[in-house]
Amino acid sequence: MNEKNIYYWQKVVGDRPISMDLEDIRKAVSEGFKSESTNYKQKLVYNLLETIRNNDQKEFFYILLKAINKPKKDYTLLLEQLNKSYDVMPEEAFTNFAYTVLIGIMATYDRGEKNE
Amino acid sequence: MNSIDQKEIHDHIDFTGNWFIDIGILGFINLMEEVYGLDLESIRVNQIDKKDFFYAYFVYYIKKTAFEWIDRQKLSKVTEDKKSSFEETKKNVLSEIEKVVKNRTTTYDDDVKDKILDINSTIKNIVKEKFKKYENDLKKSFSNNKKTILQKIDETGIIINEPFFQNLNFLNPTTNKKGNETKVLNAFEKMIFNNEIKSKLTKDAVDKTISKYLFSEEEFPNIPYCKISTLNDVDKLTNRTTILFLLSFPIPFNSVYDRNIVFYTNNLESCYHINKNIKIRIQKVKDENPDTIFKVTWQSIVDYITEQKSTFSLENMYLIEYETIQQQNLIGVEYISIPKLQASILLDDKIREALNTRIQCKSANEGGGKCWLIEEFIKGKSLYSIILNHINLILTGVDHLNWAPCLYGLLVDAHIADFRGKNKTLFSDNFFDNYRALVKEIKDEVSITTFSSSLISKISDDVDTKRRVARDLYSALCGKDKNMFLNILLKNVNENKELSSNRNFYNWILEKIISNETSFEMYGLILIMNLLRREKNE
Repeated sequence: MNEKNIYYWQKVVGDRPISMDLEDIRKAVSEGFKSESTNYKQKLVYNLLETIRNNDQKEFFYILLKAINKPKKDYTLLLEQLNKSYDVMPEEAFTNFAYTVLIGIMATYDRGEKNE
Repeated sequence: MNSIDQKEIHDHIDFTGNWFIDIGILGFINLMEEVYGLDLESIRVNQIDKKDFFYAYFVYYIKKTAFEWIDRQKLSKVTEDKKSSFEETKKNVLSEIEKVVKNRTTTYDDDVKDKILDINSTIKNIVKEKFKKYENDLKKSFSNNKKTILQKIDETGIIINEPFFQNLNFLNPTTNKKGNETKVLNAFEKMIFNNEIKSKLTKDAVDKTISKYLFSEEEFPNIPYCKISTLNDVDKLTNRTTILFLLSFPIPFNSVYDRNIVFYTNNLESCYHINKNIKIRIQKVKDENPDTIFKVTWQSIVDYITEQKSTFSLENMYLIEYETIQQQNLIGVEYISIPKLQASILLDDKIREALNTRIQCKSANEGGGKCWLIEEFIKGKSLYSIILNHINLILTGVDHLNWAPCLYGLLVDAHIADFRGKNKTLFSDNFFDNYRALVKEIKDEVSITTFSSSLISKISDDVDTKRRVARDLYSALCGKDKNMFLNILLKNVNENKELSSNRNFYNWILEKIISNETSFEMYGLILIMNLLRREKNE
């Protein structure tokens, strides 16, 4: 991965600047979901898309956390990222964050499988 | 410098720094060149002879008007044979008029007025004689389609028509009637020798009578504070006989499709050469479609600047234009200067060529307007909204996609938006570097974006599906709704595993749309264009 591509989002709340590195988030998501089956991930993405459209942060995180709540699989990186950036976010920040998560999941689709 | 040199410099014609008079000076030079065949240098050095001007002015306009009138002649309800022989006659008449005008320019002995009257009546006779056999078939194209050219010529005094000066009494159709020829010439003589422009109020006022760009004296809004300026005042300021220049004002305007344009810069040579180039090139492509004419005008300017390789550049140029004259008022007047940022970008060949195009931006029911991208660009307007309209027309199936202009237009727009977001101060390093970095960025972006965004067309093989997706995405963009846009995009991409996991594609989406707050609309529109583009090729 090209190290120069660091996507950066920042918002100042009060006197405390909050920032997210979107590229880090994407990487962590991809890393976590790489061993899941593509069909399962596709369905997950559809469900998440619906929640983002309604800007339903509670539901989004509920579905996402439910999906990664699997002790046998290694989601450490992603959990670290979530730990850092999970918060009640303003709408635009949430949109950017959520779509980055989706892109991260979609990036791990298995190309070899037939498109059903 | 001794006093003789000083005097010489005073006698030379040069620009005054006031565009209004300078364009007149340019017109004066064009006039002298056209009628007497002199070159720029000799016109500048020679003393101005008002009699020469008198003669040249009328000969120029008589020829111009006669050409215009003959050019628009058509026959109604006749056979093809007769039509082609009519076209032949038209050509004959034009060449004969040309001869008459040329032959008369060599002798200076007799009185100017007699010579003008002689040329006028000779041309009238030629037209009458040649068109006589078509008398009953000629279309009525004068005085609100009530008169044929034969009737018109029979009624008119001197064949001269300049909409710009319809307020001047000598050009007024009610004055300029058969039998009044000498009266017209006398009025003109008074004007250039005695500075007498009108008979009412201030006789030599510099107002709307002499130029449509000014107020009329009756409406002069500053009367409580100062008097209206007169020709004498202006003469004193410029040290020239300004009336000659004011009368030559409309001459350098080039008619480019539906508007009259002149390019002004404060250097006489440059201004002269650029406008001359444009005139010559427009002549060459006169019969081609209007888009070519637009391309040509910019090509001339940039060629000149590149040739000069000097510090002189686009930033010092003004574009002055008006569409037409209705009810004695100028319509669609624009004075456009070219900002440094835009000038630097335009000096790049590729970008300029792409933007030098007219694209359809209004549907036929809305008047079917086309926008000249380069012009909107130098006015500092955003190209995004124009291209958005263009894409809408393609979605409704009215027009076909103009790929390169739209791509470059959007990327230039996006980069300027980013650039403005980052640079809060005007005089940054970029300013002194002529925005070189910005131009390079735009060009790099073109290749990256062309490739990455084109991947979207893999979304489906079906033309209708792509069109549907394009339409959905378009409505999200119109609402400036980034969330909705991404939702629709990802929902459709999610069906296609290969595209979803394409690294170039998702990286591009992440960088240009998700993490981009200033210009995601432009990149979004490029995606839509790609969806519509494949469709055309198939």
